[in-house]
Parts: sequence; structure tokens; C-alpha cells
Amino acid sequence: MDRTGLRRRATGVTVALLAIVSIWGILQPESAAGELFWTATETGTIESSLRLAVPIALTAIGGLYAEKSGIINIGLEGLLIISAFVSVLVTDLLGPGQSTGIPPVVTFDLGGSTYTIDPGLQLLIPNIWVGLAGGVVASMLLAFLFGVICIRYQADQIIAGLAVWLIALGLAPFAAKVVYGQPSTAQVGTFDNWTIPVLSEIPVAGEILFDASPMVIIMLVSVPVAWYGLNRTSFGYWVRASGENPKALDTVGVNVDRVRYAAVLISGFFSGIGGTALSLGAVGSFSGAGQTMVDGRGFIAIAAYLFGNYNPFGAFAASYLFSGLQALQIRLQGIAPTEVFLMLPYLVVVIVLVLVGRTRLPEAAGEHYESGED
Amino acid sequence: MSPNSGRRRFLKGTGAAGTIALAGCISSTDNDGDGTDTPTEGSDSTETESGDGTETQTEDGSDAGADVNVGMVYATGGLGDKSFNDMAQQGALQAEEQLGISFEEAQPEQNSDFIPAQRQFAESGDYDLISCIGFAQTDALTENADRYSDQHFQIVDSVVDTDNVASYVFKEEEGSFQVGHLAGLLTSQSFEAGQGSTDSDSTNVGFVGGVNAPLIQKFQAGFEAGVSYANEDVDVQSSYVGSFNDAATAREAALSMYDSGADIIYHASGASGLGVFQAAQERGKFAIGVDADQSRSEPDFADSIVASMVKRVDTAVFTAIENEVNGEFNGGSVTTLGLESDGVACVYGDALGDAIPQDVKDQIDASRQAIIDGEITVPTEP
Repeated sequence: MDRTGLRRRATGVTVALLAIVSIWGILQPESAAGELFWTATETGTIESSLRLAVPIALTAIGGLYAEKSGIINIGLEGLLIISAFVSVLVTDLLGPGQSTGIPPVVTFDLGGSTYTIDPGLQLLIPNIWVGLAGGVVASMLLAFLFGVICIRYQADQIIAGLAVWLIALGLAPFAAKVVYGQPSTAQVGTFDNWTIPVLSEIPVAGEILFDASPMVIIMLVSVPVAWYGLNRTSFGYWVRASGENPKALDTVGVNVDRVRYAAVLISGFFSGIGGTALSLGAVGSFSGAGQTMVDGRGFIAIAAYLFGNYNPFGAFAASYLFSGLQALQIRLQGIAPTEVFLMLPYLVVVIVLVLVGRTRLPEAAGEHYESGED
Repeated sequence: MSPNSGRRRFLKGTGAAGTIALAGCISSTDNDGDGTDTPTEGSDSTETESGDGTETQTEDGSDAGADVNVGMVYATGGLGDKSFNDMAQQGALQAEEQLGISFEEAQPEQNSDFIPAQRQFAESGDYDLISCIGFAQTDALTENADRYSDQHFQIVDSVVDTDNVASYVFKEEEGSFQVGHLAGLLTSQSFEAGQGSTDSDSTNVGFVGGVNAPLIQKFQAGFEAGVSYANEDVDVQSSYVGSFNDAATAREAALSMYDSGADIIYHASGASGLGVFQAAQERGKFAIGVDADQSRSEPDFADSIVASMVKRVDTAVFTAIENEVNGEFNGGSVTTLGLESDGVACVYGDALGDAIPQDVKDQIDASRQAIIDGEITVPTEP
């Protein structure tokens, strides 16, 4: 198959280029390639790349689930925007830096006397985590709406996806204007790093992996879990069958629509964490000027899962490649013309789309499936 | 019910809802309430938009601006940005109060909306001056200025070389030189204020730019010149994020600079700059804001923002309106606002300003005077 061949060749060329730069860099540390290699392998750069990879990689994982099931979700950018905003809003409304108890203490007034129901034992959740939950719920709601439009009402998936993006692009800054009087939100703080005892003592790897933002750790856990879910569970088989041959899935008695709804909701779930990682994870606020703070990451995520050929590990590697280039370009603008570095991530996306854009889509992707029974 | 009719009804419903939502978007060009109270377009309608454009306005004393109507076309991002657009509105409000003019506002959402927004004002013929804020409107105005050659336009932050456009630009490099001078002086000594401190052993500062364009390079060039004016041994790390909206990447750029020894980072990157402030707070270092006094507009970061390079957009807007009211519209000319005319300035942070040693402030004042007197020439390219 020449399509598979093309993809292999593209991957091969990328790996070969990376290898050439690395070897050249190791042999000649003084050269440009040397600086590139040694900067790319610095702890700070790797941490930076991982943090920048989080929104892209998680969104890519969500997107590939949806597409594997036959629903092309190009509204991922919109899901990122809405979750980035809602997570900050929820945290701010509950009170940044405080905690919410579950179950709550309920107080009500009845004819002058007040009654209080105190559960006694409360689970205290920091509001920033409630904010994360809020962002995920908002993203899943929007994804569900997208699912209803595409699955129940058989709308064109590409157009519906664009609509999701445009709705979020307008809604989030508008809602921010209503609440805050400006297209961006207040400052609510960011997640504290998670330091895992003992493991974080390991030199280099411990510092990178076990003393990191919770968002990075969530991403690193999500990648193998998503791979296992897609390739080793019966739900994963249904998702893939729903995208490749929905009729066969229907024949064995599995409801195709329900599988597709589930996959779209999964894309909302992961994008929700991704969007939150961007606002609450990095900056502590949402800014809605122009393309909002998401700034095209949802579309880069689509390129990432195509490049990774619908494999969560591949999608993560592609995301890391993009974010690593970004981390390198902000560090190394001195050694090469700035424009070249600023262009690199986009150049890679273009190459990926031209060469790998021929990645074999799931057979039934983008098509509505109508079960024979009514 | 067949699925098709359900589908049709659903699409009809969403279509209607969408149309209403769109209508809401389009009407975003309405005024902000202040301008609505003077819709009397005057029975005489002495607006001079007709004819050859020579100013024949009547100057009847103090309220000369009563029949001057101004259309404001803001930069994308709209009002509430606590920066560029809000300052432009300040200028218009000041003119409304002092000169008695009235104004209407348009807030384009994206670059492609500039042409219709400008046209909407120009087409009506009710506006004596249309004020276009931001260099992104340059292309749109170049086109519209030819088309409506009798209409007076103002552009802020860019130059459109046409007889009916008055261009206002800033000497960003001069203001950036001032904050660079400040950063160079502070990194060379032990300075502690708010929650941050500089390390006197390491003399290192940083610059984070939005998009690598000539306009932003002026900031970088001025800053670098100011730093080396303070102390030739100070290293300046510079980086461009590639976007004015990417705070996450700007934060990474700033973190990497702070981690390699930078004490103070100056940003000229719009909304991306929030990431720089966030990084400064995380690392207990300092940042310098841009365009507006960001220690006031971003109070959450006031204990990290040591100063801001302020561009007085309000001065530019007010000056242009005042000229129009006085019948002295200076079309075809470029007004450059620098340190001398207070068009740019180094404003100390709201919370940290008092902690800056007086001898540092004296040196900053001295270099300001030296720039005004022409003793120091500030480069515009890095």
C-alpha cells in the first residue's frame, strides 16, 4: 500500500533527521546542531516541552477516540476554549485558594428558626480541582451537543465541528465580558507541583517525571491508559469497529450510535483536561483576546493524532515533537534566524498534513450510520 | 415522525437561534451609552464632509466641539482590555468632557472586520473624524482612505500616507530605553521589594516579544540600549513567543530566562505577557509591563511588576480630536509622540515603585532628559 508506505517514509525521515542532528550534535558540541541537541536534552527544556505538550497530547487522544469511532471532531479547539474558560470561572466563583466540602453543610431558614444539616464528615476538595471538574463537564456538554447534531440529526461533521469551534470562540470571551467586564478573567492561581516522595529523588528522570505539574502526570498516565482502552478492551474494539465497519458491529447487536456518543464524550473529557491544563495549569487565568489563549492548539492536536496514526503513544510523540520545537525556539532564537524557529512547528504541521494527511482514515469516518431497524 | 422531519425542525430551530446570535454580534458596533445622549444631528447639519474637505468649521467659543462627531474603531480585543483600547476610549471620553464632542464606537472582532467597521462610519457621512486604533488597521485604512477621500481619519500606531489621514506613532524605543535603564541598574545591585529580589552577582535581564515585527523590535532595541547604558556587562536574553495571545508559551520563555539567571524581564507581547508575570511570581523575580500601567491593570501581579512602559494612546486620540475641533486637522502628517511630549513614559509599579532607590530614579530622570536633549540617540533596530 503506497499510503501506508508514505506514512512510514514520513516517520522514517523524521526519525532519521532527529538521529542525524543528535549524532552530529554529540560529535560536534560547538556546532549549531550541537547547541540544538544539548539544549533539547536539558532538564529545563524537557520539563518545558512536557508542560507545553499537555493540552495538545490530551486533546489529540480525545480526538483520536472520536475519529476512530467514525466521528471526525474538528471542534476540539472549541472544547479547549470552553474548558479553559469554565474551569477558571468555577474556581473564581467558589473562591480561589479555598476548598469546597463534599457533602456540603446545608443551612436553611424556616419561619425564623435556622436548621443546619452538617454531614459531620466532609471531603475537602481544593476549588482549583473543582474548577478542573467544571471545565471537563463544560467540555463534555459541548461535545455531547456536537454528538447530538452529528449522530441524532445527521449533520455534516465538518460543518458541525466548525460550529463548535466558532460557538466557543464567541461564547467564552462574551461570557467573560458579562462576568468580568472584559474578555479575560481574574487571576485564580495555578496547580501546585506534585512531588512524589522517593521517586522524585531519582536524578534527572525523578525531577522531570515525579516533581511536576499534576497536569503533566495526568498526561503521562492518560497515554498508556488510552492505548490500553483502545486496543485491549472490548469497548476499544467497539470503537474501532464503529469507525471501520459499523454494519458488522450493528449485526452483532452493539448499538453503533451509543458507541459513537461515548467516543465523542471521551474526546470532550480529554479536551476538558487539556483546556484546563492551559488556563489553570499554566497561567491561572483565561484570556479571550483574538484567537483566545488556546491559539490553535486544538488544530495542532488534530495534526498530532494524524501524525501519530491514531495511536495514543504516537499522538503523544507527535505532540512532544511540536511542543519540544516550541520550547527550543524560545530558547535558541539567538543561533538561528527567529523566523526559522517560529516557522518550524507550523512547517512540521504542513509536512505532516501533506505527507501523512494520507493517513488511512477509518473506513466509515465522517459518514452517518443508519441502523436498519426503526 | 420520520427522522428527517425531526432533523429539519431541529435545524430550523438552530438556524433561527444562530441568526439571532449573529444579529447580536453585528450590533456590537453600538455605542456604549455615553454617546447616545446627543443623537440630535442638528437641523443645520453643518458637517463639512461634503465639498473639498477644507475646514470651514465654526469656532463659537468653548463649546466648539459640540457638533463634532467622532467614530472610534478599536483594535481587536475590544474594550475592557485594560490597555490599548481602554486608553483610546479614555482619550475620547476626555474630549467628550472637555470639548463637548460626541463619539460612537465599533469593536471589530478580527482583522477582516476593520474594513466594514471603518466603512460603516465613513459611509454615513455623520462623522467628522474616524479614529482607527492599532497598526493592524493600516491595510484596511489605506484602502478606505482612498475611497472616502473627503473623510478625515486618524490612525494610531501606524502611518498611512494619504492627505486625509493623520498618523500618530510613538517612540516606543525611548520608553523602552528608560525601562531598560531601570532594569540594568536594578540587576546590578541587590534590590528587594514585594515578593521578589534581584541577585547582584548575576547581571542578567530578559525581553519577551510577541511577534517578531519591526514595531516590536523597536521595544527590544530600546530596551537593550537602555540596559547597556546602565551597565555594559549586563546580558540581555531575548525571545519572541510568536503570538500576542499565547500566555502559556510566554510563561515557558520567561521561566527559562529566570532559571538561567535573569532578574527582570520586560515584555512587549500583549496578552501573552500574563505568562511572564506568572513566571515572575513563581520564581520570585521581577517583570516590566507594557502599554498601560500593568501593576494597576493586573493588580494580582502588582508585587512583581517593578515598572511599566506606558504608551499614552489617550494623548494621541485626544490630540487628534482637539485638532479636528479647532479646524486644524493635520492630514497627511505624522505626529510622533516621544518622551518629550509624554507620549511614552516609564511608570513605576503601583506597589513596588516606592522601594526603588532614589538614586536609581534620579539616574532614570537624567537619562530621560538626555534623550529629550538629543544627547542619547536610541536605536530602533536591535
